[in-house]
Amino acid sequence: MAGRPGDDRAGSTLRGVPAFDRSRHLFGAVTAATTLVLIFVGGLVTSTGSGLSVPDWPLSYGMLMPPMVGGVFYEHSHRIVASLVGALTLALALWTARAEPRPGVRRLAWAALAAVVAQGVLGGLTVIFLLPTAVSVAHACLAQTFFCLVIALAYATSREWRDARAPDVDQTGLRGAALTATLIVYGQLLVGAVMRHIGAGLAIPDFPLASGRVLPPVATTPVLVHFAHRIGALLVLLAVACFLARARRAGDPRFTRLGAALLGLVGFQIALGAATVLTGKAVTPTTLHVATGAAILGGCWLSTLRAFRLRRPAPAALAVPVARPVTQS
Amino acid sequence: MSMRTTLAVLALVGLPFAGCGGPKEETPPPGPAATSAAGPAGGAPAGATTGSASISGKISFEGTAPAPEKIKTSADPKCQAMHPQGLERQTIDAGGGGLKDVFVYVKSGLSGTYPAPTEPVLLDQKGCMYQPHIITVQAGQPLKIRNSDDTLHNIHPRPTANPEFNIGQPRQGMESTKTFDKQEIMIPVGCDVHPWMRSYIAVVGHPFFSVSKDDGTYEIKGLPAGDYEIEAWHEKLKTQTQKVTVKDGEKAKADFSYKS
Ligand code: HEM
Ligand code: HEM
Ligand SMILES: [Cu+2]
Repeated sequence: MAGRPGDDRAGSTLRGVPAFDRSRHLFGAVTAATTLVLIFVGGLVTSTGSGLSVPDWPLSYGMLMPPMVGGVFYEHSHRIVASLVGALTLALALWTARAEPRPGVRRLAWAALAAVVAQGVLGGLTVIFLLPTAVSVAHACLAQTFFCLVIALAYATSREWRDARAPDVDQTGLRGAALTATLIVYGQLLVGAVMRHIGAGLAIPDFPLASGRVLPPVATTPVLVHFAHRIGALLVLLAVACFLARARRAGDPRFTRLGAALLGLVGFQIALGAATVLTGKAVTPTTLHVATGAAILGGCWLSTLRAFRLRRPAPAALAVPVARPVTQS
Repeated sequence: MSMRTTLAVLALVGLPFAGCGGPKEETPPPGPAATSAAGPAGGAPAGATTGSASISGKISFEGTAPAPEKIKTSADPKCQAMHPQGLERQTIDAGGGGLKDVFVYVKSGLSGTYPAPTEPVLLDQKGCMYQPHIITVQAGQPLKIRNSDDTLHNIHPRPTANPEFNIGQPRQGMESTKTFDKQEIMIPVGCDVHPWMRSYIAVVGHPFFSVSKDDGTYEIKGLPAGDYEIEAWHEKLKTQTQKVTVKDGEKAKADFSYKS
């Protein structure tokens, strides 16, 4: 079979199929899981307003280990967990560089390493420049982008990836649906991060209505950003529901399970968003909302990777009649 | 991959997390304690346009002050130990017969030049609280910030007209000196380690200001004769202004009254 762009199985088949590297795959998965924990811990820093409780960087009060009191506890814990993720990523990159035959995957590992370094530097810049909105937003978004890179590394080393020999035709449009959902969730993250860092989280104080109406009565920047995030939530819900519907139609449990889990997470996320507003940004729901947002992004991204790995594009002429069976509407 | 590349990558990755630079401490050599006297900056320096008039008065408060706010200090055991009976904050403090911690200053009517005193004003961190609560400096006058506590604090003022900064004082006895060059009323200052630590810094372009005492009285001395607008500022009850005319040697009265 001719290799698709970015697919070097053709090359590796000549050298023999690379053995499934179980430990490296697990290591990647553990790094991804630790990153999700780190995103929660980072969210705690913002939610508790502790971002500036340690005024210096890279050291903390000139020490490696300051007394963990007050806000220092959150900020310095975040730095420690971030260092751990940095170390895991470094190890993963070096391991991949040694053991990985596919140049694309090696590049991916280096990209993850570059991202984690950039993320650390951005974190330091937020501290030194006293949380400028742009840097805080970039730090929030790069965190989740990095999470996606690590997920891709873990997936590229999975058994499923290795065993996917002859992808089926994507008759129900899984690839498009998963990719669309991922992009919409990323957009939602961006709007969420802007809202959080311009302090617009309570710009609309009620839920589900907006100041007692369907459309908010005033249109200041904070209100608009906040409202955009609520519209975004609807789009996310639609996109994930659409992905699940297509997965059902395709009848492939690898997609239906993930899609159902994602839909559940989105429901939970909307409830957390409502709780964030109605509790006046209580630390627990707000921080869970940040982390669940990351989990949804990661899940949509994994669905996209799977869809592109396990399905090949339907020939344009065939796609229309096959994707819409008469019995299904 | 060669050993050298490995080491280079290690160094690159370690940099943002661990790093090697020490903190920027601004600890001048220990010297005599600075004055913490609030009020007309003791003795205006040569060249200042002063006079012999004064404005004084009392700030009264009518209504019921909210119950003092209980502060949870458990996040820092050292702070908790310094307040075994618990810590309370009273933002509207009228217990002494008048309203305390009202900042009163000449808002307009002055025309002279007022070079900044070189003697610093002290902002002390003691018992995980700021002392005094309302800190007053003249624009350009040094502000000495001291940590008298056996715990760490960060000092993070949030000005809008002056540059913002955030510095740490991890050890007892540390001091840093900062100046604000532009008049700004008020600059909230806080500690992000101990969120209850919140005070205000008034930076004034001249020496005619005062902070009301426990009994609500204040006095602005050394004024040249003139027509002035004076303003009273309270962190919760906001501002009030009055017009006052003083002649040389005169002691004018200007009382303010806040209601809740
Ligand atoms: C692998 C590296 C890192 C990741 C994945 C990460 C992730 C995060 C996340 C998800 C947040 C929450 C953003 C939000 O709630 O909007 C955050 C906040 C923060 N992080 Fe990091 N972080 C990393 C490294 C660092 C480092 C090394 C520092 C060093 C000082 C740092 C400092 C901060 C600060 C100060 C905040 C609070 C920002 C604010 O309140 O605006 N981070 N981080
Ligand atoms: C289902 C889709 C949703 C997703 C994927 C999502 C995602 C996010 C993310 C990732 C953030 C934080 C960004 C950062 O790291 O700084 C955020 C913030 C926020 N979200 Fe959502 N969100 C969703 C729905 C909602 C809903 C329905 C509400 C309800 C009004 C809501 C309210 C908020 C608020 C108030 C914040 C800011 C919290 C703060 O100011 O600290 N979200 N969202
Ligand atoms: Cu403090």
